[in-house]
Formats: sequence, structure tokens, C-alpha cells
Amino acid sequence: MDKSSISRPGQREGLFSSAVYHLHLYFLLLRAQARSQAVYRLSFALDAVGSALITLAEFAAFALVIPRFGTLSGWTLGEVALLYGLAELAFVLMDLLFGGFDAPNLSGHVRSGSFNTFLLRPAPLRLQIFGSDFALRRITRVFLAAGILAYGVSASGIVWTPEAAFLLAGSVLGMIAFFGGLFVIGGTLTFWTVESVEAMNVLTYGGRTLISYPMDIYGQFLRKTFTYLLPAAFLSYFPVLHVLGRPLPDGLPLLAAYLSPLVGPLMLAAAFAFWSVGVRHYGGTGT
Amino acid sequence: MITVQNLKKTFRVRRGGLLRGSSVVMEAVRDVSFSVGRGEIVGYLGPNGAGKSTTIKVLTGLLVPDSGQVTVGGLVPWKDRRAHVARLGAVFGQRTTLWWDLPVHESLELLRHVYRVPEARFRQNLRDFTELLELGPFLNTPARALSLGQRMRADLAAALLHDPELLFLDEPTVGLDVVAKERIREFVRHVNATREVTVLLTTHDLGDVERLARRVMIIDHGSLLYDGALASLQARYGSPRELVVDYEAAPTDPQVPGLTLLGADGPRVRYGFTGAAATPIARVTAHAPVRDIAVKEPEIEATIRRIYEGGLLRDAALLKR
Ligand SMILES: Nc1ncnc2c1ncn2[C@@H]1O[C@H](COP(=O)(O)OP(=O)(O)OP(=O)(O)O)[C@@H](O)[C@H]1O
Ligand SMILES: [Mg+2]
Repeated sequence: MDKSSISRPGQREGLFSSAVYHLHLYFLLLRAQARSQAVYRLSFALDAVGSALITLAEFAAFALVIPRFGTLSGWTLGEVALLYGLAELAFVLMDLLFGGFDAPNLSGHVRSGSFNTFLLRPAPLRLQIFGSDFALRRITRVFLAAGILAYGVSASGIVWTPEAAFLLAGSVLGMIAFFGGLFVIGGTLTFWTVESVEAMNVLTYGGRTLISYPMDIYGQFLRKTFTYLLPAAFLSYFPVLHVLGRPLPDGLPLLAAYLSPLVGPLMLAAAFAFWSVGVRHYGGTGT
Repeated sequence: MITVQNLKKTFRVRRGGLLRGSSVVMEAVRDVSFSVGRGEIVGYLGPNGAGKSTTIKVLTGLLVPDSGQVTVGGLVPWKDRRAHVARLGAVFGQRTTLWWDLPVHESLELLRHVYRVPEARFRQNLRDFTELLELGPFLNTPARALSLGQRMRADLAAALLHDPELLFLDEPTVGLDVVAKERIREFVRHVNATREVTVLLTTHDLGDVERLARRVMIIDHGSLLYDGALASLQARYGSPRELVVDYEAAPTDPQVPGLTLLGADGPRVRYGFTGAAATPIARVTAHAPVRDIAVKEPEIEATIRRIYEGGLLRDAALLKR
């Protein structure tokens, strides 16, 4: 029998073929997830409709209210839709991508032992986690968010320049990375204790809700906190202000509007550094 | 293949909440050393909580030990995870590696990609294992719908599809019926013989060990009590052999010189002896008229139980130090 013909992972190989292998494997894992979920057709359909309804209800609330008062702290409905659509789109995409790191899912894997199963397979651990909880049912929310965003873009009369496109796309990417980072941190914390999950949720979901609305509606304290302490304002608020041709607050330089694709990945990198610490801790305790 | 020197693993067990409450250090494995050669099957025994699974988790790279040297096929398991696990297969009796909602063959197909098994090799192995383990009837069934025995067989196939050099089995027959157990033992013997797969197996079923392993290691409270041939374990620590004698009539005095009287029940008397049976039989037949004689071998089960209970070897191990 010819054992030598099996190329062992971890062997030296071209960067390209390694990337192709990993991408292919990721795709296969996602497909396995999708196929698994397709088994439960009814619950899938209910989830898909249900989660879309929540988004719809949330948006409908200010779609009905704002026109009565004209604006919300100086923001028209179209402008709010732009901000809300961006945040919702990014968050749903992030949820799809980073679902495996979400604390309940990850701690579930640790408790059920499937985390050990991942460790026993010769594929990168993070790749396996990325491919472990792909909630396809959220797809309806992606479309809905895209719709709200499209409405926001057209209603707020944005002039389509390459710069505007760059700012908005960068904002979405930055938010995906930023909130993905929060998911990774929350998941990593469960290596130590599941009691931390609630506190982390406040940050993640609270942060998400917070940046769905214009920061003008918040008081000084909150606004400063989310600009300088937790740099969430850089993610969508500043880029949108700039796209709408408004000045940035506190006399911040225009550069601040372009930092979303930098702030997000920095957060994610820090989160993965913490993740490595968590995985090392897991190797010490096994729980 | 496997070398373990002075392996030690402790767990910090928390009592009470995160902030208040104390932690206790639990020595799951303390100062364990052994080595396993290529192609061996080693049975790893010990009572609940002895440290068997902890040892296996260190060897498979899931846990990092406190101290000690461990190499498996030249690699340190927890340092070079991916290269290490590519060469081993592992089955933990209580868990499955299969995708819960996918048909078995789709799970196996996914693992083919994870381990990068060439297509032709995969087909060949799948054909072999399907035949040996009779996977055919449930290859299209999702893992969640399999019986325990079926799931175990599918998991064994999944663990061996990539031609690993090493197979770790943690209680592979737990909860299975006799027929299912036998099928799994037969399969493990087969892959060991034909594919030179080294096997380390923990179990509470001595039948597994008797059928599979020539060598056993016994661990209790984190320390190795015995490492050697199964046969000599019996010779050294087994209870004496037993002679069951049916006399023509109940003897007035059942005592026979040179034999230990174990019990008398009317004409049936039981004696204990060591060594060959010829002399005791001659003595008994000379003692009184005999209708029937049987020699009963001590059960390995009883031997092991005595070791666990009496700490028989623990004293011996302490003396050696
Ligand atoms: N992750 C862990 N955290 C804390 N203590 C642990 C952990 N894993 C094992 N232990 C403890 O270490 C000791 C050895 O456990 P281990 O699982 O190795 O025993 P075992 O020999 O496999 O037992 P069994 O036959 O019941 O499976 C036990 O006292 C157990 O409670
Ligand atoms: Mg165990």
C-alpha cells in the first residue's frame, strides 16, 4: 500500500495551492452547514421569515415616526436609512461569517466536545470554526438590509463618486471586521467562563444598535466614549457624515472618515491575538 | 512510536464562583513513563478517574502537560498540532466526528478533503471498510439516526480513512452489545495486522483487552501500576487456580495436605493450588473416592478487580521507589 502518496498537511507547499486548499475546504464546510440546515425545512423557513420581520419592524418604527417630525436631530429618514442599512448589512454579514465564534455556539462546541474534534483534524483551527456555524437562514436579512441601504442611498441624494463608494464599502468592511472581533473576544472569553457572555453581549449588540442611529441623538458622554474609547464612531458615523457632505464633530480632520477599514481590522487582529491566548489556556485545562 | 517520560498533568478544579471560592489542584496523571512500539496494540486499563483519558488527550495534542517529555512519531503533540494529528486517528467512544445531519458517506467525503486523501486511495479504503464494518446499509443515513453500534463503526472508518500510523481508542465498545463489540474488535485486529496501525486502547471491558492486546498498562490515581504482558499479569497477580472435586460421598475431613481448602458443600469441595494440576489431582484421588474433577482458571476480571481494590500493585510500586 502506498502511504507516501498522501500529502500531509503542514508540509511545505506553495502559498497559492495552500490558499486554494483552504478556500475550497471553507466552501465545503459551509456547504455541509447549508445542507444540514436544509433538513429542517420548516424551522429554517420560520427562522428566515422571523428574523427578517424583526429588522423590518425596527426600521418601520422610525420610518413611521421621523416623517411626522420632519427630521431626527437634523437627519432625514433617507439619511437614517443609510446609516441603519449600513450597520444592519455589516452586522448580518458578520453574523454569517463569524457565527462559529459567537459565544453560545463556541461554548456549545467546547461543551459537546466538537471543539476537540476540530483540534484532532489537520486543518487550521480558525478555518474550522469559521466553517462551523453558518446560519444560512439569515440570508433574508441580508437582502432586507441591502434594500434599506439602497433606499437610504437614493433618498439622501448621495452623489455617486468613487470616493463615496470607497467610503461606504470601507465602512461595511470595517464594521464586519470590528464586530467580528467582538464576536471572537466574546467566544474566547468562554474558554474561561460562560458568565462573561452577557456582559459581552451588551457590548456587541449594544454597540450595533448604537451605531445604527445618528450619534447626534446621544449625549456628549456617550458620543465621546464611542469616538475615543471604543472607536465605533469611525466605523460608519464619520464616513456617512463625510459622504453627506457634513463636517465631522470636534473639529476632527477629514482623515477620520477614512479610518473604518483600518479600525475594524485592528480590532480583529487584537481579537485573534486574544484568541490564541484562549486556545493556549484551553490546552491547559481541557474545558 | 510513542515515548512518554515523567508525564504529569494537573487540573485546577474550582469550587464556588469565579471571584470568591478556592481552587484545588487535582493530579490527574503523575509521573507516568512508557513507550509503545510500531504495530503494537496496548490496552490501557484503570478504574474511573484513573487518568486514562487525560493521558490520551495529551498524546493526541488536546492537552498540554505540566511537565514531562512526550514524542509521538518524533513529534511533540501539542507543539506541532496539524502535522501530528494528520498521522493519527482517534475515536472517543462517547462522541462522533461525523456531521450530525449529513449522510455518513458525505461526512467521510468531507474528511477526505480535510485530510487531503487522494481520490483513488479514498475509494479503496472506503470499499475495504464498508466491507469489513458492513457500513453499506447506513452509508446514506444521517449520523443522528444511527444506532450506537452503527455510529461506532462509521466513526472507526472515519478515523482510518487517511491511513494513520496510530489509532487512539477511548472506550470504543462502551454501551455496545456482544455482537457489535466483537465486530469492532475483529476490525481493530485486522487493521493492526494488515496496516501495521499502532493501537492504544482504553476500556473497562476486559474482553477488549483479552481479544486485542498482548500488553496492558494499568493506571490508578494517576500512577502506572503495571506495564507488561497480559499473561504474566495473570501469573503474578492472579488468584490461585481452583480444583473443584465431586467426591462419591461427602468426606468426613475435606482437608488434603498441600492444598488450600476453599470451601465444602456436601460432596463438592473446592481447593486452591498453584502450578501444574497433576500432583493436586493425584493427592485428591488418593484422599477419597472421586466421581468428577474440574480445574477452574482464575478470571482476569477478578485479578484486575483485586488490583484496583486492594492496591495490590500500589504497594509493590511504592516498594520499588
Ligand atoms: N478538564 C478537566 N478539568 C478538571 N479535572 C479533570 C479534567 N479532566 C479530567 N479531570 C479529572 O482528572 C482525573 C482523571 O480523569 P480521566 O478522564 O483521565 O480519567 P479516566 O481514567 O479516563 O476515567 P474514566 O474511566 O471514568 O473515563 C479525574 O479525577 C477527573 O475528574
Ligand atoms: Mg475516560
